[in-house]
Amino acid sequence: MNQKLALPEEVLMSIEKPERYIGHEINAVFKDKDKIDIRFAMCFPDVYEIGMSHLGIQILYDMFNRFEDTWCERVYSPWVDLDKIMREKKLSLFTWESQDPVREMDFLGITLQYEMCYTNILQILDLSNIPLIATERTWEDPIVIGGGPCSYNPEPIADFFDLFYIGEGETRYRELLDLYKESRKNNESRDEFLYKAAKIPGMYVPRFYEPIYNEDFTLKEFRRLKDDIPATIVKELVTNLDDTYYPEKPIVPYMKVTQDRVVLEIMRGCIRGCRFCQAGQIYKPVRERSIEFLKERAETLLKNTGHEEISLSSLSSSDYSHIEELVNFLIEDCTKKKVNIALPSLRIDQFSVDVMEKVQDIKKSSLTFAPEAGSQRMRNIINKGLTEEDIINGAVLAFKGGWTKVKLYFMLGLPFEEEEDIEGIAKLCNNIAAAFYEAIPKEKRINGKVSITASTSFFIPKPFTPFQWAKMNTKEDFIDKAEHTKHYIMSQLNQKVIRYIWHEADVSMLEGVMARGDRRLSKVILMAYKKGCIYDAWSEYYKHDVWLECFKECGIDPFFYTTRERKDDELFPWDFLDCGVSKAHLLREWKKAQAAIVTDNCKKRCVGCGTAKFDCGLCINR
Amino acid sequence: MKVRIKFSKHGVLKYVGHLDFMRYFQKAFRRTDIDVAYSKGFSPHMIMSFAQPLGVGVESDGEYFDVEVSDSENVDLFVEKLNEQMADGVEVLEAIVLPEKAENAMASVAAASYEIEFYKDAPLTEKLIKQFVDSSEVNYVKKTKTGERTINIKDYVFDIRYLSMRCMYICVDASSGGNLKPATLCDALLKLDNKNIEDYPFHITRKDTYKRNENSELVPLNRF
Repeated sequence: MNQKLALPEEVLMSIEKPERYIGHEINAVFKDKDKIDIRFAMCFPDVYEIGMSHLGIQILYDMFNRFEDTWCERVYSPWVDLDKIMREKKLSLFTWESQDPVREMDFLGITLQYEMCYTNILQILDLSNIPLIATERTWEDPIVIGGGPCSYNPEPIADFFDLFYIGEGETRYRELLDLYKESRKNNESRDEFLYKAAKIPGMYVPRFYEPIYNEDFTLKEFRRLKDDIPATIVKELVTNLDDTYYPEKPIVPYMKVTQDRVVLEIMRGCIRGCRFCQAGQIYKPVRERSIEFLKERAETLLKNTGHEEISLSSLSSSDYSHIEELVNFLIEDCTKKKVNIALPSLRIDQFSVDVMEKVQDIKKSSLTFAPEAGSQRMRNIINKGLTEEDIINGAVLAFKGGWTKVKLYFMLGLPFEEEEDIEGIAKLCNNIAAAFYEAIPKEKRINGKVSITASTSFFIPKPFTPFQWAKMNTKEDFIDKAEHTKHYIMSQLNQKVIRYIWHEADVSMLEGVMARGDRRLSKVILMAYKKGCIYDAWSEYYKHDVWLECFKECGIDPFFYTTRERKDDELFPWDFLDCGVSKAHLLREWKKAQAAIVTDNCKKRCVGCGTAKFDCGLCINR
Repeated sequence: MKVRIKFSKHGVLKYVGHLDFMRYFQKAFRRTDIDVAYSKGFSPHMIMSFAQPLGVGVESDGEYFDVEVSDSENVDLFVEKLNEQMADGVEVLEAIVLPEKAENAMASVAAASYEIEFYKDAPLTEKLIKQFVDSSEVNYVKKTKTGERTINIKDYVFDIRYLSMRCMYICVDASSGGNLKPATLCDALLKLDNKNIEDYPFHITRKDTYKRNENSELVPLNRF
C-alpha cells in the first residue's frame, strides 16, 4: 500500500469532509509517471461533490488514460475551509491521483459549465502557483485549456487561458498532445507551440486575437494578430457516437456526490429549438447512440461500478428514437439487479406515466413539467412546442396514475413579456389543480389532496440563441415580477394547494453580464477575486456588493451587457466562433419570436439552421 | 443465511466516514456476483448491519458487519471475491456463517480494543498508567447535549497497558449503553498528569471488536 496524500493529517482532520481530497477512489487510474510523456490535470472548478458528478470529465478522463503516453488526473476546488488553510500554510493545490502539485502537470484543462465559476478558476490557478494571466506563464507552468459550454463565449476569461478547445473533446486532443510532444522535443517556446496549436481545428488562442471596440464599447472588429490562423473557429463534434470513447469503468466516489449513479448518455443535441436554450443550439445536430450500444453499456457500467441507480442523460430523452425499447429493457434488467432507474427529462405522456408507475414510489415522488411560460403566446415566443392542453392532459394522466404532487418550472423576464403572461403562470397552476378535482372523484383521492409547486427562475439571455439580442431585466424588474406572480397565485381559486418559490436575482444579474460579456471583463473578474470572491455560484458566498464595487473601480457599466438594446447587425464578442447554427438563422428566429410564430422541430422538417454542414446525425439520417 | 464479515481499514480510507463506508461495501458487493438479500419496496436496500461505527481518522484491524445472502452461496469464496473489489487499504479477513440464534453484530458489541499512538513528545509513562490502574475512581466531566455529566471512566475501561512512551493498548466499553470514545480516555488520562490533550495529537487503530460469551467473557465478534 503506497498511498500518498498532499495534505497533512492535522489539516485533513481539521476540515469538513476530508474524504473530498483523498482521491484513490474505485476505478481511479494510476500510472508510473516515469513511463509517460504527458501529464494532464482535468479540473472542474467547484467542490468535489459537484465536480465528481460530471459525465463529460469521466468521458475525457477515460479517453486520455487510454493514451499510453498520457496520465490524466483530476482537480477540484478546495472548499472555503481548506482554501483558507492552504493560503495560511502556503500549501499548493494538487491532483487527486498522484497528489502531486498541479504546477508540475503539462496541461491543466478546466471545464466551464457555468459562468459563476469564473473566480473559482482564479482560485485554482492561484493555489497552484500558476500566474493568473496567461501571457505571464513560462514552461514551468502547465498549458491552461478551457472547454465546455461557457467556452462558447470565452471572452470574459480570455486573459486567464492559454487556449480554449471549442466543441466536443473526443476529436482533437490527440493531435494537440502530439504537437505538444513535438514542440517540447524541439525546444520551441510556449508562444511557438500555441501558434501551431491555433491552427488545429477547434482551438482558440486568445493572445493571437484582439478585440477592437467602437466608442460606445460595442465590438468593431475582432482582429487576428497572425495571418495564417483561422478568422472563424468552427466547433468540433463527434459524428458517430457509437464509435468513440465512453468509459466502461467510471470512477466511483466514496462520498455521496450529486450524481451518485450510472449515467448513460443516450444522445447529444436536441431536435427542439427553444429560443432561450443555449444547449439546444450549441450541441446540434442530434446524434443518437445505438440501442445495442446503450444496452451493452448499461450492463457493463452497473457491473463495474456497483451503483444502485442508473439515469439517462440527454437534453430531451423522450425524443430518443428507441426510448420505449431502452426504458423497457432497463426496467427488466434493473428490477432483477435491484437497481433504481431515474428518468429525468421525459415528457409526460401515457408511456412515461406507465413507466414511472413501475419505477417510482408514487406517494413520495412528484411529476415535473417545464412549461417555462404561463401563456400560450409566451410559449410560442420561446418556441416551446407545448400547449396548455398537452400539460393538462399529462397532469390528468398522472393524477389517474395516483400522483398528487406536481412541480412546474417557469421563467420570468422573457422577451416581450406582458402582465398577462405573468398572470398566465398563476392561471395554469390553478387549471391543473382544477383538473385534479375534476378527474379524480373525492372517494378516489387516496393519496391526499393535490399539491402544486410553481418555481420561477429569471431569464438570462445567452450567446448562440435567438435571444442573444434580447434585453435582460434588471434586478428590480425581476423582484417586481416575482411579487406579481405571487399576487396572481394568491388570487386563484385553488391558491391553497399552490406553493410558489423563486430564485435570487443578484446572482442572475452577474450571470447575465458574464454570459454576453467581452474581454474587458477579465479585469473585473480578477479584481473581484483579489477582493475575496470565490464560489459565486453558492449564494451564501456570493458577494454582490464587492462585485458592484469592482465594476465601478474598473469603470465598466454592468448594464451595458444586460439591459442594453442590441441592434440586429451588432458584432458580438462570440461571433468569431461558429457552433454550426448560423447567425442568420438565429436572427430569423429572433424575428419570429417577436411575432410569436413557432418553428418546427428538426424531426418534422429541416429549418436550415446551418448544422447540416457537419454532415452527421439527424441532418443526414432523417 | 446471515454471514459475518471481518475486515481491516487502513490508509487514506480512514478519512471515509461511516455512512459512506457502508455505501462503499454495498457497491463492492454489487460488483461481485454474490447474491445478497434486499429489503422490499421501491428502493430496495441490502440487508446489512455494521457492528460499530468507526470514527473519521481511525484505522482498524477488526471491523465487522453482518449481511444476509442467499442460502445457496458458497461463503468460502467470499473473502476472495470481495478482496478483488476492495480499494487499497481495506482487506476482507474472514467470512463466517452466523449460527442460527446469534445476535446481530450491532446488538452484540460489548467492547473494543485500540492502540493509541501519540505523534510526538511522548506523554505516556508506566507510572501514569499504573496510577490510572490503581485509582478506584477517575472522574471525568462529559459534555452532553443537555449539559454536563460526571462519569467514572474506570467503569468503562476493561484493560489498559503501557507499550512505549508514545503507545498504549486499551480495551473499553463499546456497547450501545456505555460506549467510551478512546479520545475521552486519553483526555482523562492526560488530565491526571495535568496535561492538555490538545497539545498531544495521536492516532487511533482499533484492534478488535468484542461481544460477551455465555460466561460473560469478552471474545472477538467472530468467535462462536
